[in-house]
Amino acid sequence: MFLRFLRISAWVLLTAVAVPVQASKVADSLVRIQATSQEPNYRAPWSGGQVISGVGAGFVVSGNRIMTNAHVVSNARFLTVSKEGDPKPYPARVLHIAHDCDLALLTVDDPGFFKNTAPLEFGGIPAIESTVSVYGYPIGGDRLSVTRGVVSRIDFQPYSHSGVDAHLTIQIDAAINPGNSGGPVLQNGKVVGVAFQGYSGDVAQNVGYMIPTPVIARFLKDVEDGKYDRYVDLTISYHPLHNPAMRKALGLKDDNTGVFVGEVYGGGVADGILKPGDVLLSIDGLPIASDGTVVMDGGDPVEMAEVVERKYRNDKVDLEILRDGKPMKVTLALTHPWPFSLQANAYDEKPRFVVFGGLVFQPVDANFMAEHNPDDLRLRYTFDHFITHGIYRERDEIVVLSAVLADPINAYASEFRYDIVDRINGKPIRKLADVSAAFKEPAEYYVIEMAGNGRPLVLERKAVEEARNRIIARYGVSKEENLEK
Amino acid sequence: MKPFVLWAVLALLCPVALPAAPEVASESLPVDNSSLVRVNSTNQPYDFFRPWMKKAPYMRRGLGVVLADRHILVTAELVANHTYIELEKADSAEKTQAEVVVVDYECNLALLRPMNPEFLAKARPLKLDSGARVGDRALILQLESNGLIAQTPATITTITVTNYPMDRLSLLTYRLSAPLQNREGSFTIPAVRDGRLLGLLMRYDGRSQTADVIPAPVIAHFLKDAKLDKYPGFPRVGVSFASTRDPQFRRYIGLRESGGVYVTEVAPGGPGEKAGLRRGDIILSVAGKPVDQDGLYDNPDYGKISFSYLTSTAAHSGDTVEFVVLRDGKRETIPVTLTPLDRSRIVSEPYIFDRQPRYFILGGLVFQELSRTYLQEWGGSWRKDAPQRLVFLDTFQGDGEKFNGKVVFLSQVLPAPNNLGYQNLDHLVVRKVNGVEINSLDDLARAAAAPVDGFHKIEFEGDPTFIYLDAEETERSKKQLMEDYNIPSLQNLN
Repeated sequence: MFLRFLRISAWVLLTAVAVPVQASKVADSLVRIQATSQEPNYRAPWSGGQVISGVGAGFVVSGNRIMTNAHVVSNARFLTVSKEGDPKPYPARVLHIAHDCDLALLTVDDPGFFKNTAPLEFGGIPAIESTVSVYGYPIGGDRLSVTRGVVSRIDFQPYSHSGVDAHLTIQIDAAINPGNSGGPVLQNGKVVGVAFQGYSGDVAQNVGYMIPTPVIARFLKDVEDGKYDRYVDLTISYHPLHNPAMRKALGLKDDNTGVFVGEVYGGGVADGILKPGDVLLSIDGLPIASDGTVVMDGGDPVEMAEVVERKYRNDKVDLEILRDGKPMKVTLALTHPWPFSLQANAYDEKPRFVVFGGLVFQPVDANFMAEHNPDDLRLRYTFDHFITHGIYRERDEIVVLSAVLADPINAYASEFRYDIVDRINGKPIRKLADVSAAFKEPAEYYVIEMAGNGRPLVLERKAVEEARNRIIARYGVSKEENLEK
Repeated sequence: MKPFVLWAVLALLCPVALPAAPEVASESLPVDNSSLVRVNSTNQPYDFFRPWMKKAPYMRRGLGVVLADRHILVTAELVANHTYIELEKADSAEKTQAEVVVVDYECNLALLRPMNPEFLAKARPLKLDSGARVGDRALILQLESNGLIAQTPATITTITVTNYPMDRLSLLTYRLSAPLQNREGSFTIPAVRDGRLLGLLMRYDGRSQTADVIPAPVIAHFLKDAKLDKYPGFPRVGVSFASTRDPQFRRYIGLRESGGVYVTEVAPGGPGEKAGLRRGDIILSVAGKPVDQDGLYDNPDYGKISFSYLTSTAAHSGDTVEFVVLRDGKRETIPVTLTPLDRSRIVSEPYIFDRQPRYFILGGLVFQELSRTYLQEWGGSWRKDAPQRLVFLDTFQGDGEKFNGKVVFLSQVLPAPNNLGYQNLDHLVVRKVNGVEINSLDDLARAAAAPVDGFHKIEFEGDPTFIYLDAEETERSKKQLMEDYNIPSLQNLN
């Protein structure tokens, strides 16, 4: 069972409803996904982690493809799908996976699978208070389950799969439980969303979330060229402009327009183009209200981020700004912002590491932090503020001494655990590859300096060479480094 | 300049430093309750989240020890943020008010004096113990509700140098093993040996039944300093060091001798820096005592203890201690003149007691100077729960960053019409106000007196990088703010 579904408790009463009239047709397009996946091992990064299996739902869409959640098939080693009324499980494979919006497309190579299936069609955004039906294979039984609820709220919400992304989300009050993930939510025979996350019963009840069709449509369009390019972002922070003095000082009229730029993240798409204190007046010609909303397609006000949400890599966005009281026009070319991926949960990646003298060096990312959960203040602070305090300008990634495989040569190294590696033999360490390169340089001593003011950690080359095979054998280190994701 | 060795001797002879009755070495007097006095301290700390007001008062009870000169010794913790201190005789429950003569939160000791000098006329002052050793028996004294002494036998299990509660100083500590019962008045509990004061309890762990005791040598040091016109405080060298146990490290730094510790950090402006100690120096001996690989030396009374005993517990401010260091393969002798910590160099105060925290309110924006006491308002797990940027600045004291004074930050915004749009801002470190660099609240107050073009411009290190306030409206908002939020004064710069 999938227990990775956001904070869903193991047992929630299902709201059973009569199967609607068109259920037989929907059932033809519905698939049960059995996924066997292997978690990466961030403690012994040279070996694989725990193998787990889980169940999710999916549905057939055009082009002999199956849509489901990314989290159903993340880190998958083997996938099978089965249809209602067909006893055979069919091996499946992932075509595209989008961790930033929790969607994936699968296909089945056996041509017989898609016979008698009808691709489901997509609808629009359902109205608040209208009724929707959720299909899937939640806990409580093995067969198809259908629950029904009303649309409670349409809003920007965090997507817990990546942990850092937020997109348009629809909240419904139908019971959504582990195993519902990836199942379609239908209204009038059309898919209006993909069930993906919810709350555990002790946090909130009858709160389930689905990915709405604008997000699904964006994903499908993004992969038309054969690869997924991910979302784009303005890479700035902005603040509402409600304060009259602030408006006056910035040379604005009292007309409730504009937001001001708080920070421009270096390395992002706005770096060198926007400045803190710039006032954003319009985005792609849409006036920005002082609370940061715009009116798109004549509808309700939405966050101005929604304009960028609908764009793709290498698209452009036009901004009218006010800088030092003077109006200007700027255009940003949208690419994926690199420093942000550090703080997102990563999937389908191999842990990277270097082992030297029994010392394990690893780059720090969200997966590492989740697994190790270190108390070290400097490390936690550096990770949390990697972007906001511009630490990424000093280093491409944070490399730490993550573990000590105890041996006489490193008997005094354990005090350095979770220290951030600053320099090795005088060379600055900006990324894991620098560690690997530094240890390949011939030297009598390897002097490892950590961030902060501690003593350097020193290893003698001779000692390391003598201990090498001993440590590899004792700890089963099948590989001494992996620099590739 | 006195040679340092003298002090080590003095520490042993410390009872002579007290102008008390002549010493009778072998006498073993039973302690009666005329040497003890109940101390009831009503304490009222300031609310660091609302620095213009105090929190609700509460009472702490302890058992003070009567010393010579009618002084009463208690732990500093008992009287921290006191508003009213009351002495109560153990047998008659007669009461009088007391005042604090000297308090030192770093060694956790305070000296009190009754307002009525006659109050202790019949009391029998206790003398300080000397020469306690590991294995010695002691008695821990508490009072029953009827005023009689309850004695709990204890044994000294360890004598070592440990961190004191304020996390600033490491001083000599006795660890006692004793099955202590919980009684009223536990904020100061004395321990005696042969009728003399062995020390005051500062920590007790009920599970392991061990008590950490502020020992007589630390008390003697405190009492000696307390006689001076200006209490100097315990000195420190201001160096951090690392062990040199790792043989590979020893070979790398060329250390052939058996002992020595590696200096990792020298506090700017501290005695170590002034004397010329540097990162990378290897300390071989202190005050003529060889220092081993872990920074311990062989004390004739206590065995192996940290060399900081020689520079903090056994030395006084103004003393000079000789350090022998290995630098670039050569031995050098460096005399270090000890002083207490230079507080002006502190970026975030480690503790603030007995005084109102400084603050400055500008148009509803509350500005404060960072202190650990502020962060501790988040409760026991403040290190994880308080704003991480501030915890980081407090822990590393702005190390490697540009702070030429205190960290001034916007702690909160009291919503008012003039600060519309800023009401969610909090915990932002202030860099400039009206173009002036801010290194203290005094800087901020001065800068706020000079708005530019009718605006106050406040620049933060974080997001947002700046905001504006209307200077006239800010001025006008003052009265309303004080009324709406019940604030007696919009600033405290004392």
